[in-house]
Amino acid sequence: MTSEISESAAPVLEARHISKAFAGVQALSDVSLTLQAGEVHALMGENGAGKSTLVKVLAGVHRADAGRIVRNGQPVTIGSPHEALQEGIAMIHQELMPIPDLTVAENVLLGQEPAHRLFGWIDRRRLHERAERLLARLDARIGLQRKMRELSVAQMQTVEIARALGRDARIVIMDEPTAAISDREVDSLCEVIRRLKARGVAIVYITHKMDEVYRVADRISVLRDGIHVGTYPAARLDRQRLISLMVGREWAAHAPPVLPSAARGDVALAVHGLGRDGVFQDIDFQVRRGEVLGLAGLMGAGRTEVVSALFGLQPADRGEIRVHGTRVGIRCPDQAIRLGIGMVTEDRTGWGLVPSMSVRHNVTLAALKKYCRGPLIRHRVEAGVAEERLRALAIKTSGARQAVNQLSGGNQQKVVIARTLLAEPSIVILDEPTRGIDVGAKTEIYGLIARLAQQGKAILLVSSEMPELLSLSDRVLVMREGRITAELDPRQTSQEEVLKYAMPV
Amino acid sequence: MVFSFWESDNVGWETSVRNGVRGLVVFLGLAMVGMGCGCNRADSEGSRGTESESGQPVIGVSLLNLSSEFIVMIDRSMREAAEELGVRLVINDAQRSAARQIQQAESFVAQGVDAIILNPCEVEASSPAVDRGLAAGIPVVNVNSETRSRPTAFVGSRDEESGRLAMEYIAERLGGEGGVVMIQGYMGQAAQIKREAGAREVLDQQPGLRLLADQTAEWDRAQAMSLMENWLQSHGDEIEAVFAQNDEMAMGALLAIERSGWKGQIVVVGVDAIADGLQAVQAGRLDATVFQDAAGQGRTAVETAVRILRGEPVEEEVFIPFRLVTQENVAQFLP
Amino acid sequence: MPCRSEADASGGRPLRDLLMPSIQRGSILIALLAICLILSLMTPNFLTVANLINVARQISLNGILAVGVTFVLLTGGVDLSLGSLVALTGVVAATFAHPGDYPVVVPIAMGILAGTACGFVNGTVVTWGKVAPFIATLGMMTIARGLALLVSGGRPVSNMSPELTRLGGELAGLPIPVLILLVVTLAAGFFLANTRMGRHVYAVGGNERAARSAGISVPRVKLFVYTLCGALAGLAGVVLAARITTGQPNAGLGYELDAIAAVVIGGTSLSGGVGGVGGTLLGALLIGVINNGLDLLNVSSYYQQIVKGMIIVGAVWLDQKTKA
Repeated sequence: MTSEISESAAPVLEARHISKAFAGVQALSDVSLTLQAGEVHALMGENGAGKSTLVKVLAGVHRADAGRIVRNGQPVTIGSPHEALQEGIAMIHQELMPIPDLTVAENVLLGQEPAHRLFGWIDRRRLHERAERLLARLDARIGLQRKMRELSVAQMQTVEIARALGRDARIVIMDEPTAAISDREVDSLCEVIRRLKARGVAIVYITHKMDEVYRVADRISVLRDGIHVGTYPAARLDRQRLISLMVGREWAAHAPPVLPSAARGDVALAVHGLGRDGVFQDIDFQVRRGEVLGLAGLMGAGRTEVVSALFGLQPADRGEIRVHGTRVGIRCPDQAIRLGIGMVTEDRTGWGLVPSMSVRHNVTLAALKKYCRGPLIRHRVEAGVAEERLRALAIKTSGARQAVNQLSGGNQQKVVIARTLLAEPSIVILDEPTRGIDVGAKTEIYGLIARLAQQGKAILLVSSEMPELLSLSDRVLVMREGRITAELDPRQTSQEEVLKYAMPV
Repeated sequence: MVFSFWESDNVGWETSVRNGVRGLVVFLGLAMVGMGCGCNRADSEGSRGTESESGQPVIGVSLLNLSSEFIVMIDRSMREAAEELGVRLVINDAQRSAARQIQQAESFVAQGVDAIILNPCEVEASSPAVDRGLAAGIPVVNVNSETRSRPTAFVGSRDEESGRLAMEYIAERLGGEGGVVMIQGYMGQAAQIKREAGAREVLDQQPGLRLLADQTAEWDRAQAMSLMENWLQSHGDEIEAVFAQNDEMAMGALLAIERSGWKGQIVVVGVDAIADGLQAVQAGRLDATVFQDAAGQGRTAVETAVRILRGEPVEEEVFIPFRLVTQENVAQFLP
Repeated sequence: MPCRSEADASGGRPLRDLLMPSIQRGSILIALLAICLILSLMTPNFLTVANLINVARQISLNGILAVGVTFVLLTGGVDLSLGSLVALTGVVAATFAHPGDYPVVVPIAMGILAGTACGFVNGTVVTWGKVAPFIATLGMMTIARGLALLVSGGRPVSNMSPELTRLGGELAGLPIPVLILLVVTLAAGFFLANTRMGRHVYAVGGNERAARSAGISVPRVKLFVYTLCGALAGLAGVVLAARITTGQPNAGLGYELDAIAAVVIGGTSLSGGVGGVGGTLLGALLIGVINNGLDLLNVSSYYQQIVKGMIIVGAVWLDQKTKA
């Protein structure tokens, strides 16, 4: 069952019977996919289902173990991202890779800068003309002379897409393009996608957000555990069915459970007048034992910065922090951990994991001291604890010695959570814990948060997914431009009200 | 001169303790403060500018490398001669870099020194340093080694002679018959080329002497030691004599021979007569070395420069003879 | 997929693991054995007990330095001051080693102490001063060379007591420098595999920010590795002085690059986080065998350098090829 709709036009790209394994874990087995010109083809599936692997095979990042790629009816070999580009296949990565110190125009035309006819140096005038034309096609208004590092994530994405256009890409792969951008920016991305479609570009779109899928996709392919479950026209596949195809079982309702209010205890963490120049000011709040405090706000409102300050990653300039009533100074994560604060960072590859180390060593990294006799590590104890944690959090590996960078995004996130909890913190900070995580893993994490609250831990939750935040939190603080603008009771508020306090006026 | 006591030759018990402690204090102090004290001898004299108040003639000196003992001896004898003759020296250390040497010559020209004494790093690459001086009308005296460009005068020794003396001694000891290995200096440097040429001259005349192997150890004791260890493995009892092109390497070879139990069976000869080498000759460990008169070269170089400045006639090439040092005559070379 | 075998979970650490953590050193071992085979076919003098001991003795110095710099490279740093530190510490040791001055432990201790202090300064400049390791240690390279010349007055410090020079000799038929190298390597391998600080070294090199957010004091780890590297350079300096019976202010030129080459050939990543001292030992052996073999074959000095360079690049290329 490859497709249910008639394929009148010849496909621009076909993947036939692709298989790929990493370190003994079968990431893809016998997956086929066809792409038509001008369609948006969504790839859906839980974390670890093989979506990223499939598109990386198409984009030349990975080589398939078996199977073929056919472009306009001709079999092609794609051995590198460069060769993929030559075949008109461009990928907009989950982690964007622009060159921060070059200008927008230079980034758009990176690698194909127009050279002066006579002397071979870069012709700036033509560079700007061409970059402007490409951005205009996307109806994007970004100053050509701005440095890349000054742009928002969404603007960087647009630049990447313009670059793909500049290379005459006929197939654009977007791997979770909306994972790190705000709702308003999603709108402009949709507009960009519409324009690409109009030019006959085929788009492969990976996301975890249901609303978005139905907004942009023409067809949906579902992957599960590396197997192609099926491809369906978006209009004929309802949400319930899509979710059940993804998880492989019927799903009653995809709504996070409303947590029972745990018995509240004493104030675990109290913050007064916390501030850091140019980032956030006058932050006041308290979290009790057994309470989940939600932090809402748009991208760049300063939520991550506030929790980073509490964990000592980027210390605050002023203000007072009390842990269990005692005033403390937190200058580095080491201190925070010793005070019983644990944090799951937003950016799991940047701040979370040590990619070159095994899963086991990543899990025990923050709590290693407990498994030591003097300076010596007790390997047996360490291994036992790590295995137990992997089982408890249902982390899929080919063994605790597997390198952590071979895991899927969702499993990596669970490793970070396992590591944080192993240090037995009494205050747990979770910064976007479910970003880029599939439905099944999300539910597991919701359950985990509930359990942690019931165990009497104080929880500080930052999330951009409003329904999740409202249903998990006992109280919600809204931040805007570095300040707290409201404290709301999630049972008596709505997404609209939260947004009202979060939007800049 | 704050640190002059470092140079004292006879390090007695007390001074050695003091040197040690003070060395550590200095080392720790400098690590903290950086090179702030600025007490380097060369610098303190160089920084004063050239037109000396008393109207003394000023001679710019660029030395190969002040971390070589031989050059340090040239340096010291030049200072003594300069003091006696009433000239002032501006001494720079080229630290083995011909490029740096050229820069130093250029700044001598810019400072308007009266004469330049060059202790060249390399035959070819240091030639521009000579050219710069001559082009500015400043007389240039080369000391110890040569450049392709002809200076006003050259003071040194015929390096071929040292190789010849050493190899002739080996031929005599072996009775003109036997296997020899040669440890070369840094390949391509004048001293290496000439010492090798001198040695080969003798080898050609003595058909009974067989050159088993030759290899560079870059004037370095540790490298020569490794090389000799390897040769003892590959040639073992064939080796009857070693010619090392300097004493450092001869000492390295000697240590390798002593440590692997070949002591007394292999003749070892070096060149330069450095303190360590002379002591080893005296102790009967090193068979011979060749004395190159560093003090004579340094002194004569300054004297030649001064005579040029006074308009007196000088010879274009002044050769200071080499002398073979063995246990019989070593006493006269020891300080 | 369920978690695998119980043996895996036991977490026992056999010796093989201790010396060759996480990545396979197979290809380097094969390259080493291949070169040994070729050499033993080309010259009968290669594969003799005496020559193999000889090779071991000749790599001991580079090996000790390479073990130290392995730690630094594992954290993603670099140490260019090693060669100068060898000279400085050798001179310092020799200064305290004149016969009858002090008991033999004093020069040894002073040499190691001097190296440790310089390493500590390196670490301080890198962590507290936030100067890039390349620059910080480049500065130390020059400073230490200057100090070595200053302390020695530009001339070799000789007249060393035989007690100290015995350190360059043999014990029970094995050269003492080789025994020192073995002890250092085993201790370092054990340390990296079995202590918290060892684990932290890998974490800092693998992802410094993640290490920080896991509560690891990154500056402490860095300070530790540079200080240790300096201390081992001090040890190497003392051993060298003992071997050549003088403290040479101009010794050790380029030693840092040989040491780094050994580490990289041994599979430790220049960007940190991956590798170990077992590979480093193999890397040092590979370089040593090449040097020895070329001398035995009496290859001309010019060709030696070319061959050496090609083999170094080739070995690393082969290693990356097999890892990919």
